[in-house]
Amino acid sequence: MNAVRQRAVSNAAWVEALRHALAHNDDQAFMTALDGLNSLQDSSVMSGVRQVASDLQAALEQFQSDSRLVDLAERQVPDARHRLAHVLKLTDDAAHRTMDLVEQSCPLIDALTREAERLSTTGVDSSLHRDNLTADMARFLGTALVNTRAVRGKLTDVLLAQGYQDLSGQIIRGVMKLVDELELALNTLVRIGNLQVLPARQEPGTSPQGHGPVVPGVAHGHTVSGQQDVDAMLSGLGM
Amino acid sequence: MGALSDMNILVVDDFSTMRRIIKGLLLDLGYGNITEADDGLTALPMLKAGNFDFLITDWNMPGMPGVELLRQVRADERLSKLPVLMLTAEAKREQIVEAAQAGVSGYVIKPFTAAVLKEKIEKIFANRTPTAA
Repeated sequence: MNAVRQRAVSNAAWVEALRHALAHNDDQAFMTALDGLNSLQDSSVMSGVRQVASDLQAALEQFQSDSRLVDLAERQVPDARHRLAHVLKLTDDAAHRTMDLVEQSCPLIDALTREAERLSTTGVDSSLHRDNLTADMARFLGTALVNTRAVRGKLTDVLLAQGYQDLSGQIIRGVMKLVDELELALNTLVRIGNLQVLPARQEPGTSPQGHGPVVPGVAHGHTVSGQQDVDAMLSGLGM
Repeated sequence: MGALSDMNILVVDDFSTMRRIIKGLLLDLGYGNITEADDGLTALPMLKAGNFDFLITDWNMPGMPGVELLRQVRADERLSKLPVLMLTAEAKREQIVEAAQAGVSGYVIKPFTAAVLKEKIEKIFANRTPTAA
């Protein structure tokens, strides 16, 4: 006997009792029969809920063993956080190192420029200062040799400092793989739980913390396209 | 083997910035002929078809990792004696052992200095007997 037939048969007795109670105006018997009928529906609903819960449990357990969810949550995500913090440090250090080298190089070049300017004007009056000019030139050449070599070395160090991009790039790639796994896991969870995609909560107006730099390919809403845009906007606003 | 400037060097790394740094340093050291490849997969046919005297390779590359490229080079009859320098961020002891067992000629860890690169290259070529040009 199929399930629907079975339910009809189980309910039939109580339905008959209801009919009988109504026919005999027996309120007490009617309420008893109604309660009996209701408790049958409750238990069939309950067994339906139990079945769904049991199916969900089984699906989640399968998912957990398939997706290494615990490993992701407890080990890989904190690990990725450390790695990204290290990327921040690498890029910060490299930027400062490069700027340090630039700051060290500029005075060396400026000194040469000043001396060259001085000598080139002195040279015009060289008939009066010939001996001094020779001595000055010798000294200038000596300084030029030292300073240009020093700056050349610093330029090589600037080149080396760009190595941060390779190191941080390798780390970021690893984290991107983790994000892919997380996306897969979350999508599977959405599917298992048959969750509906809710519309994203819109933040009213501007966020006090800001929205971060523009990333090509990521939707940012209405943004300006450069400094000229900003200047045009501001002058349009009367500034 | 002729002058430094004549040596044909292949630099393999999946990051273009790193290839550029290595090339810049090699030029400073006097090496003139530098070719680039972005993966072991693209490098291997270039090595087989070309006339390279020196291979500098990264380890971690998406297509064919450097250690596998090294094994392929050592397994090739014509390439088996090619000097290979690994220049990589991979710093685990087991990996260094693996590279050594695969026949690497030198191993430099990133981040590195120009001085270390120079020293390791000189060491590799100091040990080699000059081959007919």
